[in-house]
Formats: sequence, C-alpha cells, structure tokens
Amino acid sequence: MTVRTKPPASRKATALPKARRTVPGLIGAVSIAATVGWIVLGGILAEAGVRAGWWEPDVLPAPSEILPVTAELLRSPDFAPDALRTLQELVFSCLFGVAAGLIVGVGFWKAPGVGRVFEPYLVSFYAVPLVLFYPVSIVLIGINQWSVITLASIMTAVPVVLNTWMGLRSVPPVYLRLAASIRCSPAQTLFRVAMPAAAPYVFAGVRLGVVYALIGTIAMEFTTAQAGLGYQIRYLYESFDAVGMYAYIVVVLGASVLLTAVLEGAERLLLRRRTVR
Amino acid sequence: MTGISIHELGVAFSAKDGRVIAVDGVTQEVPERGFVSIVGPSGCGKSTLLSVIAGLYAPTSGHVEVGGRRVTGPDRAVGVMFQEDSTLPWKTVLENVRFPLQVAKVPKSEQLTRAQQAIDLVGLGGFERRHPAELSGGMRQRVALARTLAMRPSVMLMDEPFAALDQQTRLLLGAEVLRIWRETHQTVLFVTHDISEAILLSQQVWVMSYRPGRIIDVVDVDLPEDRDASVVATPAFNALQNRVWEVLQAESMRGFAQENAVPASGVPAS
Ligand SMILES: Nc1ncnc2c1ncn2[C@@H]1O[C@H](COP(=O)(O)OP(=O)(O)OP(=O)(O)O)[C@@H](O)[C@H]1O
Ligand SMILES: [Mg+2]
Repeated sequence: MTVRTKPPASRKATALPKARRTVPGLIGAVSIAATVGWIVLGGILAEAGVRAGWWEPDVLPAPSEILPVTAELLRSPDFAPDALRTLQELVFSCLFGVAAGLIVGVGFWKAPGVGRVFEPYLVSFYAVPLVLFYPVSIVLIGINQWSVITLASIMTAVPVVLNTWMGLRSVPPVYLRLAASIRCSPAQTLFRVAMPAAAPYVFAGVRLGVVYALIGTIAMEFTTAQAGLGYQIRYLYESFDAVGMYAYIVVVLGASVLLTAVLEGAERLLLRRRTVR
Repeated sequence: MTGISIHELGVAFSAKDGRVIAVDGVTQEVPERGFVSIVGPSGCGKSTLLSVIAGLYAPTSGHVEVGGRRVTGPDRAVGVMFQEDSTLPWKTVLENVRFPLQVAKVPKSEQLTRAQQAIDLVGLGGFERRHPAELSGGMRQRVALARTLAMRPSVMLMDEPFAALDQQTRLLLGAEVLRIWRETHQTVLFVTHDISEAILLSQQVWVMSYRPGRIIDVVDVDLPEDRDASVVATPAFNALQNRVWEVLQAESMRGFAQENAVPASGVPAS
C-alpha cells in the first residue's frame, strides 16, 4: 500500500489546469474568499445558537464575547512568550522535518533497494498517531521544547520523504537520459532536472508536513508542556475559562488558516511557470 | 573525421520471459557528414541501437566508434534527440535551449547568442519566453531540435523525433532538418518508421529486422542531393519505396505474429 498525495495539476493533466491557466490569481482570491466566507458563516451560526439558547454559553460562548477577549489577548504581555514558544517549535520542526525528509527521500531514490525495505514502515507511520510517542520523547529528552520539536520533526518528515521519493520515481526517464546525454554531473542531474521535475509532488508533501507539524506541536503542548499555545488551551480548559480557551483556539485557527494560505501562495508562485502566466 | 562505425554490436536485456535480444550482430558505418536513416518495425531495437551509440547504454557485445574513438559514455559532440517529449516544462524555450550550454560551462554571452541562433534556425523566433505547456507538440520537438543544435554537435542521433506528429507537420519538419543539415553538414543517424520520410531525407536507409534486431538491408538513395518533397512523385522514389517496403512488410508481419504469439502462450487461462 502506498499513500500518495496527488500533486497539483502537472503538465500531463491537460484538461484540468485550464481554469488556472487563464486566471491563476483570481482562483487564489476566490479560494481565500470562500474560506473567509465559511468562517464568517460559522461565526454567525455560533452567535445565533447561543442567543437562541440552543446550547449553554460554557460549551461554546458567543463569538461576540470571544473576539474582544482574543483582541485583548493579542495585546497582553502574557501572550507573546507562549506564541513565541509555539512559533519556535513550529519553525524548527518544519526546518528539520523538511530537510530530513528531502535528504531521506533523495537517498531512497538513489538506493531504491533501501527505499523498498523502509517504505512499509514509513507508510504505517501515517496510521500510527505519532503523538503517542510523546512520553518516550519526554523520557529521552526531558520536558522541554526539544521533545516537542523532535517528534513534530518526525511527523513532518514522513510525508516529505514519501512524496519526494514518489515524485523522483515519477520523473519521466527521458529527462534523465537527456541529463546523461549532455553530461550533467550527479548534482546537476538532481538539482536542475530531477528535483524540478518532482517539485509538484515535493510541494504537496511539504504542505502536508507543515500542517502535521502544527497539529503535532499544539497537541503535544496540550498534553504535557509548560508553555505554548496548546498548553494555554489546556490550562484554561481545566480552569473552566471557556471564553479564554476559545480566544486561544481562535488564535490557533487564525494561524493555521494563515499558514495554509502562505503555503498555497508559495506553491502557486513556484509552480506558476509550468503553465501560463 | 566524425563518422560512426558500429562493430558486431549486440545488446540483450533480461526480461521475465527470458533474454530479449534487442540488437544482434550489427556492423555498419555512417560516413562523416552522411545522413543515414534506420527503419524497422516497432520494438525491433532502433532506440536501443541509438542509445548505445549515444553512450547511454553499454552494449552486451561489440563496440561503437564515433570519430575513430571508442564510445564509453555520453559525449557532448554527439547530440541526441529523443523519441519522447524531452522539453523541460519548468523552463522557457530559451532556458531549455540554453540548458546544455550552461551545463557545458559555455560563457554566458555565447550561450545567449548560440541559443538564439538555434531558436531562429528552427523557426521559433518570438517564442523564447514561452513555456512548453503553451506550445504544440510540433513546436516542442523544434525546441528539442534547437537544444541539440545549440550544442553544435558533429554527430546528431535522432530517434523518431517527429513520430508523434501528423504527416504534414512531419514532412515540413523533415524538410527543416534537411535544410539545416545542408547548412551544418553534421553526421546524422535518423530513426523513423516512415519509409517515405527515410528516403526523402537520407543518403542511405538501413532496414532493421524484428528480434533479433539486425540490419537486413541497406538501400542507397541515389536521388538528387537538393531534392524536396516533390521527389515523392518520381518513379525513382517509388522504386526505392517499394524495395524498402517489401523487406519491411515481411519483417513487420513476422514481428506482429511473434508479438501476439508470446503473451498468448504465457498467460495462464483464468
Ligand atoms: N530497459 C529495457 N529492459 C528490457 N527490455 C528492453 C529495455 N529497453 C528496450 N527493451 C526491449 O528491447 C526491444 C527493443 O526496444 P527499442 O525501444 O529499442 O525498440 P524500437 O525499435 O525503438 O521501437 P519503437 O519503434 O516502438 O520505438 C523491445 O522488445 C523492448 O521490449
Ligand atoms: Mg524507439
């Protein structure tokens, strides 16, 4: 069994990228507008639900109550340390995870035998909630941000490895024969032919990996950490401060929407040139 | 001198159903500045033969010399045009054509002039900043041709470069190749499965057999050097075409029968 993430419209899919071809900017704007629209709609529903008494305000307070607290939170001096800690963990996990993923993915491609041996284990990592290994990580590394970063890096690396490897394997052989015929060095073949050709797959893997890093980081902070946004959510949850907790949840949601938008924008920018400008 | 000489060349692949002998005992010569075509049924080993001459595969037996030197690996003086679309989709036309020059560390200003010249030569002036996705199949093959020409190879190996195109475009691009060859006078080995294309373009046609791939006939094309597509209507052209066709027809039928017989006996009934 192989887990494959579909790469964005490659050049072979001739029918699909038509819309993108003509107005790539517009499509991006539409998808962002749609996301914002859904969030606003959800907010209105939540507001209406509380006012109509469909549920208790402790369960889900009215957005009109949460948002001012969120705004206040963003300005308060208590916020920055937690946010910075989470950001730091996220950045490190993404950097380490993506770098390790690329290196291992390329390694598997260069030594296909090794790759075939390890692939089943890697794929099964998708099914195992890696967060479960957090206690092990704590025992080995201690209760600090490095235990979070280590595990989140692994979570990031898995899809990057699989997608990089998959992408490299699907490079049309003729590109490699071309590289050989003009005497590209192994590095030139990798960086100027194989990786660019595999880029759509690699990006899909990186996007998944970054999202996993965010999920992993928040989830691990939630369980045991002493600081970070995830820790605050749990702390406020345990002290029955629903509004405060939701204020943090809104922050995390906002961050993930922003992260997704940035990744999508970067991907569009980098792959744009394969279709029409 | 940059002719090609092929000595007792053999290439075998190990496949599931035993060894496939793709090329067997080929001994042939392409004179310097000659234009030779290979025709043969699909799967007879034309691409394999070309890959060995290009230094991309090592032969199982025998050897090839290009310009008197034994081929041991790819050589930048030998330009290859592949059967499949080999334009790199993330590069513009200009970047594609420049790429081998960058790899060969040609000085930058020279890269640009040589790339531009090659682009103009194949009639793609004005499309330098387009990406392959914006071009037709025929234009992409022109990009590949320009990329090969920009290297200024003394030997060109062309593997069915226009096979995926319609008849008219193929003839037009064939005429382009001939015009360019008359200007540059490189040694050309051209693979095709179109007999009239082979006769129209080349000075000599090699007919290859299906498994094992041998050269079973060599036909000298004694048509005027500066011929154009109108030669197709002459009796001399017809006579040549008939001769090649007769050899090839028998061979193709044998290949077809063989190809259809092998899997039928290998697949268990279910
Ligand atoms: N890498 C390989 N491994 C195993 N068999 C191969 C390999 N490459 C080619 N062959 C076999 O060698 C034979 C010749 O292949 P080749 O590609 O040279 O044919 P061709 O004459 O170029 O055909 P076409 O006209 O369809 O392009 C075929 O039977 C093919 O199955
Ligand atoms: Mg072929």
